[in-house]
Amino acid sequence: MRKYVVFLLVGLVVMQACSLQEDPRDQIPVEEAYTSATSLFQNTVATLYAYIGGSEEGEGLQGTCRGVYDLQTFGSDEAILPTRGGDWYDGGLWEQMYCHSWKAGHSLAGNAWLYLYKVITLCNRSLEQLAEHRYLLTDEDFWSYCAEVRALRAIYYWYLIDLFGNVPIVTSTRVSMQEVKQSSREEVFRFAVNELEGVMDYLPYEYSQKQNRYYGRVTAPVATFALAKLMLNAEVYSGQPQWERTIYYCNILEGMGYKLEPYYTSNFVIRNENSCENIWTIPMDRDLYTTLQQNMHRSYHYRHASAYGFTGENGSCATRRVLEIFGYGTEDEDPRFFFNYWADEVFDYNGDYILDRKGNPLVYHPWEVKLDLSGSPYVETAGARMKKYEIDRNAMKDGTLMDNDIVLFRFADVLLMRAEAKFRLGGASYADEFGITAQQDFNAVRDRVGMPHRIITLQNLLDERLMELCWEGWRRQDLIRFEQYESLFEGDEFSDKVDESDGHTRLFPIPGDAMAMNHNLVQNPGY
Amino acid sequence: MKKYVFLFCLMVLAAELSAQTVPVELTDTTQLTDATQMVQPTQTVRVGYYRGNQNTVAGAVDKVTEERMNKGLITSSLDALSGQAAGVQVTTGGNQEAMVSAVRVRGTTSLTGANDPLVIIDGVAADLATLSTIYPADIESFTILKDPSQTAQYGSRGAAGVIEVATKKGKQSKFHISYDGAIGFERVYKRVGMLNASQFRQAATALGLDYMDRGQDTDFGKSIERTGFVQNHHIAFGGGSETANYRASVGIMEHKTVMQTNNYRNYIAKLDVSQLAFDNRLKVDLGLLGAFQRNNYLPDQQKLLYSAQTFNPTFPAEPKADGSYEQVTEALWINNPLSLLKMKDDEDNGHFNVHLSARATLLEGLVLRAFGSYSFNMVNNAHYYPTAVWSHGEAYRSDNRSEEWFGNISLDYTLNMKSSILNVMFLTEVQSDTDKGFNATTTNFSTDAFGYDKMSAGAARPWDGTDSYYKKSNMESLLLHAQYSLLNKYTLTANARMDASSKVGRNHKWGFFPSVSAAWIISKEAWMQDLQFVNNAKLRIGYGRSGNLGGIDPYNSMLLIQPNGLVPMNGSPVTTLGIIRNANPDLKWETKRAFNLGLDLLLWDRRIALTLDYYQSKTTDMLYVYDVPVPPFTYNKLLANMGSMQNSGLELGFGITPLREKDMELTINMNWSLERNKLLSLDGNYNGQQLTAPTMKGISSLWGAGFHGNSDVVMQVVGQPIGVFYLPHCNGLKTLDDGSKYYDISDEKQICGQAVPKFMMGSNIAFRYRQWDVTMQINGAFGHKIYNGTKLTYMNMLSMPNYNVMPGAPEQNIQDQSISDYYLENGNYVNIDYLTVGWNVPLRSKYVSGLRMSVSVNNLATITAYSGLTPMINSSVVNGTLGIDDKNVRPVYRSYTFGLSVVF
Repeated sequence: MRKYVVFLLVGLVVMQACSLQEDPRDQIPVEEAYTSATSLFQNTVATLYAYIGGSEEGEGLQGTCRGVYDLQTFGSDEAILPTRGGDWYDGGLWEQMYCHSWKAGHSLAGNAWLYLYKVITLCNRSLEQLAEHRYLLTDEDFWSYCAEVRALRAIYYWYLIDLFGNVPIVTSTRVSMQEVKQSSREEVFRFAVNELEGVMDYLPYEYSQKQNRYYGRVTAPVATFALAKLMLNAEVYSGQPQWERTIYYCNILEGMGYKLEPYYTSNFVIRNENSCENIWTIPMDRDLYTTLQQNMHRSYHYRHASAYGFTGENGSCATRRVLEIFGYGTEDEDPRFFFNYWADEVFDYNGDYILDRKGNPLVYHPWEVKLDLSGSPYVETAGARMKKYEIDRNAMKDGTLMDNDIVLFRFADVLLMRAEAKFRLGGASYADEFGITAQQDFNAVRDRVGMPHRIITLQNLLDERLMELCWEGWRRQDLIRFEQYESLFEGDEFSDKVDESDGHTRLFPIPGDAMAMNHNLVQNPGY
Repeated sequence: MKKYVFLFCLMVLAAELSAQTVPVELTDTTQLTDATQMVQPTQTVRVGYYRGNQNTVAGAVDKVTEERMNKGLITSSLDALSGQAAGVQVTTGGNQEAMVSAVRVRGTTSLTGANDPLVIIDGVAADLATLSTIYPADIESFTILKDPSQTAQYGSRGAAGVIEVATKKGKQSKFHISYDGAIGFERVYKRVGMLNASQFRQAATALGLDYMDRGQDTDFGKSIERTGFVQNHHIAFGGGSETANYRASVGIMEHKTVMQTNNYRNYIAKLDVSQLAFDNRLKVDLGLLGAFQRNNYLPDQQKLLYSAQTFNPTFPAEPKADGSYEQVTEALWINNPLSLLKMKDDEDNGHFNVHLSARATLLEGLVLRAFGSYSFNMVNNAHYYPTAVWSHGEAYRSDNRSEEWFGNISLDYTLNMKSSILNVMFLTEVQSDTDKGFNATTTNFSTDAFGYDKMSAGAARPWDGTDSYYKKSNMESLLLHAQYSLLNKYTLTANARMDASSKVGRNHKWGFFPSVSAAWIISKEAWMQDLQFVNNAKLRIGYGRSGNLGGIDPYNSMLLIQPNGLVPMNGSPVTTLGIIRNANPDLKWETKRAFNLGLDLLLWDRRIALTLDYYQSKTTDMLYVYDVPVPPFTYNKLLANMGSMQNSGLELGFGITPLREKDMELTINMNWSLERNKLLSLDGNYNGQQLTAPTMKGISSLWGAGFHGNSDVVMQVVGQPIGVFYLPHCNGLKTLDDGSKYYDISDEKQICGQAVPKFMMGSNIAFRYRQWDVTMQINGAFGHKIYNGTKLTYMNMLSMPNYNVMPGAPEQNIQDQSISDYYLENGNYVNIDYLTVGWNVPLRSKYVSGLRMSVSVNNLATITAYSGLTPMINSSVVNGTLGIDDKNVRPVYRSYTFGLSVVF
């Protein structure tokens, strides 16, 4: 009897031992994702495009809140999130953005760091998987896929050096923590440039903004645009200006057939896939994709959004500096102000006035904006609001899931970059090999919106860039390049003005959490 | 394959593991016993997998029998336990906001969230949710295993303590039937006061604000309340012969809370059958349990309360002509509370369990037991958010099922020697869990008429709104138990348990959890015999290791991929796959080592009972979702075993019967516990690399308008107890030229108190005079703080006129909502949980053997210096509400109930 029992127990134990392996079904082992040329492409290359835009806070290059775009926009004099009574104080978060008084623990910088490096490490993983499963691909496809991933990674490194300066270059998933050390901003700059230049020949010369095979992807023009931007800011990143190469890459883009749309607004309509000016966009479709555009939602007055069937958070708006530059309210007001901002009375779909709580027409008061509006009679209505994109009446999720593709890169910027580079090389009349002068490039942008020509100067260039490219996330970079980043407080009153004479705020601090977890990292000066 | 093993378990001859068949009268509440109910040396106790008497138990084991369970209104079986055992904290979520309460045994010892104790119901591993479905009158006792010398026998599951529940079984007697029921109502007696309409107008006018005036005066706080209603009914019957018996019961519990639309219903049926055969060598037990719950939740309690408290009081309580409620569009964070009540969030929750056990006496002293159990759980959730509160509306349905197979076989050998007893047991156990389910969402509704019952009324189906999942994990265990008892005076117990789980990494499958304990009955020593007043004295000492794996999902050790999004490919959308988290192939068991020293005393004719326990534990390889550096990691979170935590405490149980006469009896039972906790480290080695987590991290933060970001209040700080307040100091209020005030706050933040009480008290006073009895339960907590975020928010005049404020706010005119220690208050309180008056009707009926009537008032009074609504907020569970009162505390109410029990 006992013998049987012992036998039975031992038998049971042996039987049990087989069941400790896991057999997941709603998740699959990594290897199963790379079984054919198509799945390899989908799950190494295409998968990365799920991260360009985002639906979570802090994710995505543009469209969501509290990440890369907010650092570029609210860290400049282009836009402000004023404290509106009980709303938008948020523990001083936005005040710090506007006053440049952020510290290493600022959550926006932390979000941007995590997001950018997440995509970079995913790129590294994709490259490793491509190499491992190369046998599934033709040589041509292999090189072109690798090129696409490397170009995307280089673009993300460019965002990193733009925001944080000296950052670690990580190109493999097998890197240990101890090996993660910062390279100088200049080294990372060269790395990004070399990567982009190195892969250019393998990238397809195709439009990325159109709904074709390359929709939303990093194609040769996208990489070229990134190179042009890197060159434009080369002096900031590396100490060495690269104006000729800026012109070179801008010319390449022109040669690819990009041109200004006849109408400024065509680039931001619901069906802006047909624009021949946009170069890189985040594809948006309320039925197909999940990426969101939260910037208008955050800006609209509650009743304004509500009149369109959305919700508005009544937050972000233009600063007074912007109004001055656009000549808002003057006879010479730039038409782009109307294209980009809601000011004064606003109207619903039927053309009727949208009313405020008292039943009077809702009126935005652009000039009344200040850092803390509490106690002001314009606490809710101060500031011109973001218009930019055509209203998509069918948008879902509070109006943030819309069909207008988010514009990341476009050709008007190329013309202004080229004008700037030429001007800096030899003044207004400096012409490139095709005989087009700085002034001509500059004029082209103003002609499109029917504005009289202006003499090209550095200040006019900077102002033009704001008027043409407002809400597109370039202002901070431009201010730094034009050496005006610290001057934005002039004429404004702040209680705790930050001493930034040392220029330390031109870089955001390396996030405190990253510093705490990796003792190799060295903080940017001034923090 | 697995299933055959279980079937085999079910079929194999043998014993019952669960059964503790001590006959106890069904409605035994009639009998008030003396202080010795706390410690009865002769009482049979089943502690985990083995049984003995109190003499041989050497660990901190607390048995709460029916006499000691709470007598007031019980809406969940966990209510019966609240305050009755030292070191056991039952949080009913701030005024019983949900049926499932949180329970902590000796505090928080882990960070993963696996701090819920293991619940074993009649030998079946269950959880708190299942326990809450059991009808309290079906429960015979709770046995709480607190220290690892006892919990180690549950190995990897026992680290957070074990609550063993024994339900009532049939007995060898004639047929009997009993009814047990209660009916009552609940009334709010305190809510957060806000300005009424005229005060609101005055305040807005004084500040020169444009505000909306709809000319009414509505108390929106009150508008979402109602008179609550409770009823419980339970019928049990049973009977038996010398060789067979059965017990069956059905019950219904209904609770309509004081919050409108918030209801809980619970239906339960239970059947237990037992049979002896082959000259009593074989005993077979079958248990069946079915429970069904139908819950109507409040979809977002914090938003509802915030809305009800701050909504413009000049608005009418009536809907507009089209049935919708007018909103304050400018108040983005809130809605008209009456429109929020139109949101639906319903849950159907079904639970079924069958278990079979057999015990066979093979030879003299050799017993073979087998136990098998199958549980099935179904949770269906459905919600509908109408278009008025959710742009375009949203309907959601989900269907979740979980199954658990569980079985064990043990061989138990007892050798009775001349003056000693040796008991050895070997046990092998398997468990297999499967969870699966799916959900669907549709939006863009043109009408709210269908709710969630016709999802095709919604025009859009977002990609991320439909999904399904499947999870499976297996566990297997071996346990060797040995106990040696000498002269019935010295007992030595040792357990060695090995567990293997599929969830941990390949190289760490097996975990080893040993324990050893000893008990010494001092009072049996010859030299103690002179001390007549000592009836019993026992010294206990124990040390053990237990594990913890409960908080983690399967598959965390594998690098896996899932759909990560939609991207356009050739112009059409394609789902791509990607990794969604960092994998940790080195995942292993979290272990807790603990030491326990205890003393039990019974003095002066058993009138005084005293239990004293000191414990110290250290959790290492602590499972936690650590912050890891990006790069090199892709995601900034990694589930790993690195940090450590230390807990220590002192528990005192005290019972006294100062009065024990024929007609009159007074008993006072008290338990006190002192708890200390310290997060030692979050650093560790992962994959050969030293990782350092940030020393400070937010646990709970304030929510609402102007609080999105930088609003952490309670932090987790290395070197401190879990959950400390980390705030800047406020030097007081400063006045600006315009007469408004702001908080004068220093720049530096500092640690200024802990959120978890240092000291807890539970006490029960019972008095009997003839057939009348009075019972009162008083609980208290001390040494902790509460952040009054509600007051910070409602004292801020900047929120006017879109959000209402508190009385006093216009006079103070604070225009600031900066977080500082200004609103950090002492959380100390003493609460009279209930007062019950009962009458055992003297009957001389042939058929009716017992009749008891009682009247109870629950939540009678709270004594506290805390200025908020109630200090009984979440002060024990480490989550986003720990230590803060932030516009989420339900109005405080009392329950008045009438109870009736009849035994035939």
